[in-house]
Amino acid sequence: MKKRALVVCPGRGTYNKEELGYLSRHHQDKTEQLAFIEQYRQTVNQPSVHELDGKDRYSFKLHTLGEHASALIYACAYADFMSINQDEYEIVAITGNSMGWYIALSVAQALSPQDSITLIDTMGSMMKNGLIGSQLIYPAVGADWKIITDKKTELFTIVEEINQRAAHALYLSIDLGGYLVVAGNETGLSAFEQSVPNIDDRFPMRLYNHGAFHTPLMSQISDVGKDKLTTLDFNRPLTPLIDGRGHIWTPYSTNPQQLFDYTLGHQVTEPYYFNRAIEVGLKEFSPETIIVLGPGSSLGSSVAHSLINIGWQGISNKAEFVERQKRDPFVISMGMEAQRRFASFS
Amino acid sequence: MKDSATALHDDFIQRVSENNLPERRHRISLAEAGLNAEQVISMFESQVLSRLLDLEARQLKAQGKSYYTIGSSGHEGSVALAEALKVSDPAYLHYRSGAFFIHRARKAVQDDPGTPAQTPIWDMLLSLCASSEDPISGGRHKVLGSKPLNVPPQTSTIASHLPKAVGAALAIPARKRLALDNPDNQYPPDNAVVFCNFGDASANHATAQSAFNASSWCAYQGLDIPLLWVCEDNGIGISVKTPTGWIEQNFKHRPKFTYLQADGLDLLHCYMNARKAVRIARQQKPVFLHMETVRLMGHAGADAEIAYLTESQIEQNQRNDPLLHSAKLLIDLKLLTNQQIVDLYLNLQHQIELVARQVIDRPKLACAQEVMQSIIPKSNQNLPLAGLTQPQRDALFAKERRAFESAQPLGRMINFALAEIMAELDNVVVFGEDVAAKGGVYHVTSRLQQKFGPNRVFNSLLDETSILGGAIGLAQNGLLPIPEIQFLAYVHNAEDQIRGEAATLSFFSNQQYTNPMVIRIAGLAYQKGFGGHFHNDNSLAVFRDIPGLVITCPSNGQDAVAMLRASVDLARKENRVVIFIEPIALYMTRDLHAPGDELWASKYPTKHTPIAPGEFNTFGQGKDYCIVTYGNGYFLSRQAEKILKEQHNLDGRIIDLRWLAPLNEKALLEEINQCNSVLVLDECRKTGSLSEALMCMLLEAPTRPDNIKRRTAEDSFIPLGNAANAVLPSVEQIIEDVLAMNTHKNLKRAG
Repeated sequence: MKKRALVVCPGRGTYNKEELGYLSRHHQDKTEQLAFIEQYRQTVNQPSVHELDGKDRYSFKLHTLGEHASALIYACAYADFMSINQDEYEIVAITGNSMGWYIALSVAQALSPQDSITLIDTMGSMMKNGLIGSQLIYPAVGADWKIITDKKTELFTIVEEINQRAAHALYLSIDLGGYLVVAGNETGLSAFEQSVPNIDDRFPMRLYNHGAFHTPLMSQISDVGKDKLTTLDFNRPLTPLIDGRGHIWTPYSTNPQQLFDYTLGHQVTEPYYFNRAIEVGLKEFSPETIIVLGPGSSLGSSVAHSLINIGWQGISNKAEFVERQKRDPFVISMGMEAQRRFASFS
Repeated sequence: MKDSATALHDDFIQRVSENNLPERRHRISLAEAGLNAEQVISMFESQVLSRLLDLEARQLKAQGKSYYTIGSSGHEGSVALAEALKVSDPAYLHYRSGAFFIHRARKAVQDDPGTPAQTPIWDMLLSLCASSEDPISGGRHKVLGSKPLNVPPQTSTIASHLPKAVGAALAIPARKRLALDNPDNQYPPDNAVVFCNFGDASANHATAQSAFNASSWCAYQGLDIPLLWVCEDNGIGISVKTPTGWIEQNFKHRPKFTYLQADGLDLLHCYMNARKAVRIARQQKPVFLHMETVRLMGHAGADAEIAYLTESQIEQNQRNDPLLHSAKLLIDLKLLTNQQIVDLYLNLQHQIELVARQVIDRPKLACAQEVMQSIIPKSNQNLPLAGLTQPQRDALFAKERRAFESAQPLGRMINFALAEIMAELDNVVVFGEDVAAKGGVYHVTSRLQQKFGPNRVFNSLLDETSILGGAIGLAQNGLLPIPEIQFLAYVHNAEDQIRGEAATLSFFSNQQYTNPMVIRIAGLAYQKGFGGHFHNDNSLAVFRDIPGLVITCPSNGQDAVAMLRASVDLARKENRVVIFIEPIALYMTRDLHAPGDELWASKYPTKHTPIAPGEFNTFGQGKDYCIVTYGNGYFLSRQAEKILKEQHNLDGRIIDLRWLAPLNEKALLEEINQCNSVLVLDECRKTGSLSEALMCMLLEAPTRPDNIKRRTAEDSFIPLGNAANAVLPSVEQIIEDVLAMNTHKNLKRAG
């Protein structure tokens, strides 16, 4: 019997220093399968993802640029997805975080590979001439990995209050469960930084080269995207997709036009509830495992927070999660060397 | 022999695989129906999910993991209704509406991007397994309900949800007319339609008939009432067949109802007519949509249809399985292949089985405290009523200034209090029989309509079920109803609207839905021989055992003002349902001991002194006796007290309970224990009256006075004329009882 798997596609910010060389380490055998990405990159006069991945040194300035990071992450995740041992795993649903939604569309075959890279690269390059707003991340989770609901409510109130101030723009961008990504203009973000306590000398943490995704500040980007990408051929996915609201798009009843509208409309300008997507995936599909595609593994902890939040299979805190992971890993992060062997051929 | 669930399942797979499907009953194209391919497939997915959850419920029941098997099989056509309505349209569902509910849950986000995505498989299974995580009832009942989906939960009481649907449909245009705020869009938008469905058998129920009649009565007078009734006619109620044509004949010609038919076995026909019905209802008119369905797998798990249906009748129903009809449609329109349909069905079946395995281990309610936690609703942040300023009051009572400034009895004081409350709160509405121009049979609502207009003070039809059910619907939609029941005896024909509905809403919705209201009821006896039983009913038993209900009864005008204000605060601040009993005999009573003493009349307070719930009044400080009473009993005790003091040299105290439920037992016992004897005096009947609770309280208390007596009305109905006095407690009896408990003291004095 195959194991039922929920696949999670990574978002921006998952290709960091440690990930340099990811393609060569894990996917040397897939050069051909990734050729469509390189071909596209060539047509838009961008360095190939293999070139970026094969640099001697990781460059913050270079690798985090939207127009590079998006394609690079897509290539890694796409290749990881192809590495999943589908003799052992039955993929019952696919979701993603933020930009991971585009990757999810691709691996669920709602978009062809060519259309996927067009979408990903176009949306990733939108702010080539200057970022619109920025993002920061802030925790609302205890050392036991339990989400602190009151803390979240308090943070939502702070965000809303700051947004009401003149010349301040601040919104919830992504609800990761235990972490919130907040986005806005500089005044708004600074006000937030002054309103919340500093935690571990790390948070609030600005996300370098990240625009104010999933906020109304992106409405122009949404319009341009819709305009530029009208030729994309959206189809019904082959596997159920769970979007950033937790809505399920089924293989039979998905309306391609609505999928286009959501992807380039609501998804771009409204908050992305990754935690809700995971919750829906667990509750409605009852997977036996969650496979988080690489690069990187930071989403794994957010998935864990969401599991703990609903007490999935009795897991109610970090210790229980860690114990379960040792005994019979429920969350497999392909971006972690030690775990990818569980899910992949390679 | 296969059980009915297995037979239905096998039959579906076999017929679809072999393409042995029923012929299409209507030749309607997608375009004619107004649908696209994905909508039809999505509706079919919801139908399949609903069916599979029914089948799973029976599996789980067999394993002892689930507790409910009344299913929706055969009624899956209701997905077309969900497709035609918006998620913001309130839906009052009967228990065979699983498919409607699932489809609304699945399309909610598309309808309104602000709605959080739902998990209907998980949630329905939680509900079947009575898990405390069930998002609507918290494990208290298998109900179909959801706050984000605008589905107030219903229990299984037959048709009891229909009257409140009328109230909700009246509330939507009423909110607009009154220009009430709608913060956070917590109430339906102005163009919302109220949807309410029921079965063909329950359409016969008195409660259902009351609701149909009320909606027709309202529309007949030109009132806006955006209401969609849907009768899901499967032709049978448990084992009793509905006569052929009965529903159509019954409802085709109701005044102002638009009667439409929909074929619940054909998605396109059903949707096309549902959409038409919704369109008419959005024009603020009542529509009766008669939808043909079948019932599959019997009434519930334990029901063997073979006892009352022939095999061929059962087979005929099975051949008309709506899922088979939908499959035929999808194949004919080339939307899905036979194999895709089988795959879709089997994949979902497997998925549901696996989800069920997770759900059965989810937590259950474990103790009384957890179960009862939601009986009393959550409080909200409203500030207490502050009262009008003097100039505002002067303006409000300008036309009755003389009366307002002089001492008045109970009835008039309530009238003034109502006026002040209505001036303070613009969402308060007063309605009932004769309350408008006439001002009520006892004039307690006199001049209110002149002051606040017909949108806030209006006559109801002569039907208590409609009054109370209507109040629930209004209250759920942000109005604060103060309905009047003309006489206590009249509440009995409508009691379920309080007992089964209003009082249970917080409990079954885990505090998510509430229907705060103050129900004024004129009642109790002592009307100087007038009226007989039905105008002098002296039993409050109907309310006493209802968990969470607040019962209050003022004995005098001054208290009534403060208690009515406190009751309104309980409703608006704590979302409670309050029963406000008004002793008719004291409405016009001015004098206590002698004509003209005016001791039972009072001036309207210039400054409000609150009377908190549970706060009783004690008259006197003596220790010889304590009388515990309320209403007329307090009035009589005050008369007795004078005689006991002046003629028998006994000095006692009299407690006017004011609040009859819940009782403030601790404080009461402290007060009573200061006395040597206690008389529990209850003007209601011996059996079932509050006196029983008070006697139990005394007997269970660690300390109590040595002498305890009870005096109540006889276990009789109230006769006409002076004979009424023969069965009611009197001043003489009170004196006799107190003396009997104080014989030692009397003898000592005599010696």
